[in-house]
Amino acid sequence: MQLIFSVFKTLTDQTVTVELKNDLSITGVLKSVDQFLNIRLDNIKVSDENRHPHMMAVKNCFIRGSVVRYVQLPAEHVDTQLLEDATRRGVFCIRGSPSGC
Amino acid sequence: MEPAVASGIQEPFDLIRLSLSERVFVKLRGDRELSGILHAYDGHMNLILSDVEETVMIVDTESNQTINYAKRKWEMLFVRGDGVILVSPPSRS
Amino acid sequence: MSSLQGYVDRRVLLVLQDGRAIVGVMAGFDQRSNIVLSDCKERVFSMDEGVEEIALGLYLVKGDMISLIGELDEEIDSSVDLSTIRADPLQPIRY
Repeated sequence: MQLIFSVFKTLTDQTVTVELKNDLSITGVLKSVDQFLNIRLDNIKVSDENRHPHMMAVKNCFIRGSVVRYVQLPAEHVDTQLLEDATRRGVFCIRGSPSGC
Repeated sequence: MEPAVASGIQEPFDLIRLSLSERVFVKLRGDRELSGILHAYDGHMNLILSDVEETVMIVDTESNQTINYAKRKWEMLFVRGDGVILVSPPSRS
Repeated sequence: MSSLQGYVDRRVLLVLQDGRAIVGVMAGFDQRSNIVLSDCKERVFSMDEGVEEIALGLYLVKGDMISLIGELDEEIDSSVDLSTIRADPLQPIRY
Protein backbone atom coordinates (compact mmCIF):
# COMPACT_ATOMS: atom_id res chain seq x y z
CA MET A 1 0.00 0.00 0.00
CA GLN A 2 1.28 3.40 -0.94
CA LEU A 3 -0.93 5.62 1.22
CA ILE A 4 1.84 7.27 3.19
CA PHE A 5 3.94 7.69 0.04
CA SER A 6 1.00 9.54 -1.55
CA VAL A 7 0.61 11.76 1.50
CA PHE A 8 4.25 12.80 1.26
CA LYS A 9 3.86 13.46 -2.46
CA THR A 10 1.02 15.90 -1.76
CA LEU A 11 3.37 17.71 0.65
CA THR A 12 6.02 18.39 -2.01
CA ASP A 13 7.34 21.97 -1.77
CA GLN A 14 6.11 22.31 1.82
CA THR A 15 8.45 22.81 4.75
CA VAL A 16 8.86 19.77 7.00
CA THR A 17 11.14 18.80 9.86
CA VAL A 18 12.66 15.33 9.73
CA GLU A 19 13.94 13.81 12.96
CA LEU A 20 16.50 11.05 12.46
CA LYS A 21 17.20 8.06 14.66
CA ASN A 22 20.50 9.72 15.63
CA ASP A 23 18.49 12.59 17.21
CA LEU A 24 19.43 15.02 14.42
CA SER A 25 16.52 17.26 13.33
CA ILE A 26 16.63 18.75 9.84
CA THR A 27 14.13 21.32 8.58
CA GLY A 28 13.80 21.92 4.86
CA VAL A 29 11.58 22.09 1.82
CA LEU A 30 10.39 18.65 0.74
CA LYS A 31 11.56 18.21 -2.86
CA SER A 32 10.81 14.55 -3.43
CA VAL A 33 10.04 11.23 -1.84
CA ASP A 34 10.10 7.65 -3.13
CA GLN A 35 8.45 4.33 -2.33
CA PHE A 36 11.01 3.63 0.46
CA LEU A 37 10.11 7.02 1.94
CA ASN A 38 13.61 8.25 1.19
CA ILE A 39 13.32 12.02 1.37
CA ARG A 40 15.03 14.89 -0.46
CA LEU A 41 15.11 18.21 1.33
CA ASP A 42 16.20 21.59 -0.04
CA ASN A 43 17.38 24.65 1.81
CA ILE A 44 18.05 22.67 4.96
CA LYS A 45 18.71 23.84 8.47
CA VAL A 46 19.89 21.57 11.27
CA SER A 47 18.42 22.39 14.66
CA ASP A 48 20.96 23.24 17.32
CA GLU A 49 23.63 23.97 14.74
CA ASN A 50 26.23 24.81 17.37
CA ARG A 51 26.19 21.25 18.61
CA HIS A 52 25.89 19.86 15.09
CA PRO A 53 28.19 21.84 12.77
CA HIS A 54 28.78 18.72 10.65
CA MET A 55 26.31 19.82 7.97
CA MET A 56 27.12 23.55 7.94
CA ALA A 57 27.96 23.60 4.24
CA VAL A 58 25.14 21.28 3.17
CA LYS A 59 22.32 23.03 1.30
CA ASN A 60 20.20 20.06 0.26
CA CYS A 61 20.20 16.42 1.21
CA PHE A 62 18.88 12.92 0.62
CA ILE A 63 17.75 11.12 3.77
CA ARG A 64 17.39 7.36 3.78
CA GLY A 65 13.86 6.42 4.78
CA SER A 66 15.08 3.79 7.22
CA VAL A 67 16.84 6.35 9.46
CA VAL A 68 13.77 8.56 9.89
CA ARG A 69 12.08 8.55 13.29
CA TYR A 70 9.50 11.32 12.82
CA VAL A 71 8.49 13.87 10.22
CA GLN A 72 6.69 16.97 11.46
CA LEU A 73 4.08 17.84 8.86
CA PRO A 74 2.39 21.17 8.11
CA ALA A 75 -1.03 20.48 9.64
CA GLU A 76 -2.82 22.99 7.39
CA HIS A 77 -1.85 20.91 4.33
CA VAL A 78 -3.04 17.58 5.71
CA ASP A 79 -6.68 16.63 5.10
CA THR A 80 -7.30 14.34 8.05
CA GLN A 81 -10.77 13.26 6.88
CA LEU A 82 -9.35 12.21 3.52
CA LEU A 83 -6.57 10.29 5.27
CA GLU A 84 -8.96 8.39 7.49
CA ASP A 85 -11.19 7.46 4.56
CA ALA A 86 -8.22 6.36 2.48
CA THR A 87 -6.84 4.34 5.38
CA ARG A 88 -10.16 2.51 5.86
CA ARG A 89 -10.42 1.79 2.14
CA GLY A 90 -6.81 0.72 1.89
CA VAL A 91 -7.16 -1.82 4.64
CA PHE A 92 -10.30 -3.27 3.07
CA CYS A 93 -8.43 -3.61 -0.20
CA ILE A 94 -5.62 -5.53 1.42
CA ARG A 95 -8.03 -7.94 3.09
CA GLY A 96 -9.81 -8.51 -0.21
CA SER A 97 -13.17 -7.53 1.18
CA PRO A 98 -15.90 -6.82 -1.38
CA SER A 99 -16.74 -3.49 0.24
CA GLY A 100 -16.04 -0.68 -2.17
CA CYS A 101 -12.56 -0.49 -3.65
CA MET B 1 -17.40 -6.45 26.92
CA GLU B 2 -18.73 -7.11 23.43
CA PRO B 3 -17.80 -10.37 21.75
CA ALA B 4 -14.96 -9.77 19.28
CA VAL B 5 -17.00 -10.78 16.23
CA ALA B 6 -19.88 -8.47 17.07
CA SER B 7 -17.52 -5.52 17.45
CA GLY B 8 -15.99 -6.29 14.04
CA ILE B 9 -12.55 -7.24 15.32
CA GLN B 10 -11.12 -10.28 13.60
CA GLU B 11 -7.46 -9.49 13.26
CA PRO B 12 -4.98 -7.19 14.98
CA PHE B 13 -5.16 -4.34 12.47
CA ASP B 14 -8.95 -4.13 12.95
CA LEU B 15 -8.28 -2.80 16.42
CA ILE B 16 -6.24 0.04 14.96
CA ARG B 17 -8.79 0.69 12.21
CA LEU B 18 -11.50 1.21 14.80
CA SER B 19 -9.22 3.74 16.51
CA LEU B 20 -9.07 6.04 13.46
CA SER B 21 -9.90 9.63 14.42
CA GLU B 22 -9.55 8.71 18.08
CA ARG B 23 -6.76 9.39 20.54
CA VAL B 24 -4.33 6.49 20.76
CA PHE B 25 -1.36 5.64 22.91
CA VAL B 26 1.78 4.51 21.07
CA LYS B 27 4.85 2.94 22.61
CA LEU B 28 8.07 3.30 20.64
CA ARG B 29 11.61 2.01 20.80
CA GLY B 30 14.04 4.14 22.78
CA ASP B 31 11.79 4.64 25.84
CA ARG B 32 9.42 6.90 23.92
CA GLU B 33 5.65 7.13 24.22
CA LEU B 34 3.19 9.14 22.16
CA SER B 35 -0.40 10.19 22.64
CA GLY B 36 -2.19 11.56 19.59
CA ILE B 37 -5.21 11.40 17.33
CA LEU B 38 -4.79 8.69 14.70
CA HIS B 39 -5.51 9.72 11.10
CA ALA B 40 -3.66 7.16 8.99
CA TYR B 41 -1.58 4.02 9.20
CA ASP B 42 -0.31 1.28 6.90
CA GLY B 43 0.88 -2.31 7.14
CA HIS B 44 4.33 -1.22 8.41
CA MET B 45 2.56 0.60 11.25
CA ASN B 46 3.70 3.90 9.83
CA LEU B 47 1.34 6.37 11.51
CA ILE B 48 0.08 9.90 11.02
CA LEU B 49 -1.09 11.52 14.25
CA SER B 50 -2.25 14.99 15.18
CA ASP B 51 -2.18 16.86 18.48
CA VAL B 52 0.72 14.67 19.55
CA GLU B 53 2.55 14.65 22.84
CA GLU B 54 5.76 12.68 23.18
CA THR B 55 7.17 11.54 26.50
CA VAL B 56 10.77 10.34 26.54
CA MET B 57 11.85 8.46 29.60
CA ILE B 58 15.41 9.33 30.46
CA VAL B 59 16.84 6.35 32.25
CA ASP B 60 20.03 6.37 34.24
CA THR B 61 21.82 3.40 32.71
CA GLU B 62 23.93 2.63 35.76
CA SER B 63 21.30 2.48 38.47
CA ASN B 64 18.58 1.57 35.93
CA GLN B 65 16.27 4.09 37.57
CA THR B 66 14.06 6.52 35.74
CA ILE B 67 15.47 9.94 36.43
CA ASN B 68 13.42 12.22 34.22
CA TYR B 69 10.71 12.67 31.61
CA ALA B 70 11.06 15.01 28.63
CA LYS B 71 7.89 16.13 26.87
CA ARG B 72 7.44 17.59 23.38
CA LYS B 73 4.35 18.47 21.35
CA TRP B 74 3.53 18.59 17.62
CA GLU B 75 0.47 19.53 15.64
CA MET B 76 0.89 16.84 12.96
CA LEU B 77 3.43 14.04 12.96
CA PHE B 78 4.44 11.11 10.75
CA VAL B 79 5.86 8.23 12.79
CA ARG B 80 7.95 5.60 11.02
CA GLY B 81 6.58 2.13 11.69
CA ASP B 82 9.88 0.40 12.46
CA GLY B 83 10.03 2.19 15.82
CA VAL B 84 6.52 1.22 16.89
CA ILE B 85 6.18 -1.37 19.65
CA LEU B 86 2.46 -1.10 20.30
CA VAL B 87 -0.59 0.95 19.47
CA SER B 88 -3.33 1.00 22.07
CA PRO B 89 -6.86 2.25 21.45
CA PRO B 90 -8.41 4.89 23.69
CA SER B 91 -9.72 3.66 26.99
CA ARG B 92 -13.50 3.34 26.96
CA SER B 93 -13.94 3.64 30.69
CA MET C 1 13.54 6.58 -6.56
CA SER C 2 13.94 9.95 -4.93
CA SER C 3 16.89 10.19 -7.21
CA LEU C 4 20.54 10.59 -6.38
CA GLN C 5 21.21 11.56 -9.99
CA GLY C 6 21.58 15.23 -9.10
CA TYR C 7 24.54 14.43 -6.84
CA VAL C 8 26.76 12.78 -9.46
CA ASP C 9 30.08 14.63 -9.89
CA ARG C 10 29.21 16.89 -6.95
CA ARG C 11 31.09 17.14 -3.68
CA VAL C 12 28.92 15.45 -1.10
CA LEU C 13 28.91 14.67 2.60
CA LEU C 14 27.84 11.18 3.61
CA VAL C 15 26.66 10.55 7.13
CA LEU C 16 26.95 6.85 7.93
CA GLN C 17 24.83 4.77 10.28
CA ASP C 18 27.65 4.70 12.84
CA GLY C 19 27.87 8.50 12.86
CA ARG C 20 30.98 8.91 10.70
CA ALA C 21 31.07 11.78 8.23
CA ILE C 22 32.77 11.29 4.86
CA VAL C 23 33.21 13.91 2.14
CA GLY C 24 34.05 13.14 -1.46
CA VAL C 25 32.97 13.47 -5.06
CA MET C 26 30.11 11.16 -5.97
CA ALA C 27 31.31 9.10 -8.93
CA GLY C 28 28.21 6.90 -9.12
CA PHE C 29 25.35 5.15 -7.40
CA ASP C 30 22.88 2.35 -7.99
CA GLN C 31 19.29 1.35 -7.14
CA ARG C 32 20.24 0.27 -3.63
CA SER C 33 21.95 3.62 -2.99
CA ASN C 34 25.38 1.99 -2.97
CA ILE C 35 27.73 4.89 -3.67
CA VAL C 36 31.18 5.29 -5.19
CA LEU C 37 33.05 8.29 -3.83
CA SER C 38 36.31 9.53 -5.28
CA ASP C 39 38.91 11.59 -3.48
CA CYS C 40 37.16 11.01 -0.20
CA LYS C 41 38.13 12.00 3.30
CA GLU C 42 36.71 11.14 6.67
CA ARG C 43 36.06 14.15 8.92
CA VAL C 44 36.69 13.22 12.51
CA PHE C 45 34.92 15.57 14.93
CA SER C 46 35.92 15.93 18.55
CA MET C 47 35.48 18.35 21.44
CA ASP C 48 39.18 18.30 22.28
CA GLU C 49 40.66 19.39 18.97
CA GLY C 50 39.67 20.70 15.56
CA VAL C 51 38.24 18.50 12.85
CA GLU C 52 40.78 16.06 11.51
CA GLU C 53 40.58 14.99 7.85
CA ILE C 54 41.79 11.52 6.98
CA ALA C 55 42.31 10.81 3.28
CA LEU C 56 40.67 7.56 2.19
CA GLY C 57 40.93 7.63 -1.62
CA LEU C 58 38.31 5.84 -3.70
CA TYR C 59 35.51 4.24 -1.68
CA LEU C 60 32.46 2.17 -2.39
CA VAL C 61 29.98 2.71 0.44
CA LYS C 62 27.20 0.19 0.83
CA GLY C 63 23.74 1.76 0.68
CA ASP C 64 22.61 0.09 3.90
CA MET C 65 25.32 1.93 5.83
CA ILE C 66 24.27 5.39 4.69
CA SER C 67 21.90 7.56 6.67
CA LEU C 68 22.21 10.84 4.79
CA ILE C 69 23.77 12.33 1.67
CA GLY C 70 24.19 16.08 1.46
CA GLU C 71 25.42 18.26 -1.37
CA LEU C 72 28.22 20.52 -0.19
CA ASP C 73 28.20 24.19 -1.08
CA GLU C 74 31.88 24.39 -2.04
CA GLU C 75 32.09 28.10 -1.35
CA ILE C 76 30.84 27.74 2.20
CA ASP C 77 32.77 24.54 2.80
CA SER C 78 36.09 26.00 1.69
CA SER C 79 35.52 29.16 3.74
CA VAL C 80 35.27 27.14 6.96
CA ASP C 81 38.47 26.61 8.89
CA LEU C 82 37.95 23.04 10.09
CA SER C 83 40.66 23.36 12.74
CA THR C 84 38.42 25.80 14.64
CA ILE C 85 35.37 23.51 14.75
CA ARG C 86 34.74 21.68 18.00
CA ALA C 87 31.87 19.23 18.16
CA ASP C 88 31.08 15.74 19.32
CA PRO C 89 30.81 13.17 16.54
CA LEU C 90 27.25 12.50 15.38
CA GLN C 91 25.42 9.78 17.28
CA PRO C 92 25.07 6.39 15.64
CA ILE C 93 21.60 5.47 14.36
CA ARG C 94 19.71 3.58 17.07
CA TYR C 95 16.66 1.62 16.01
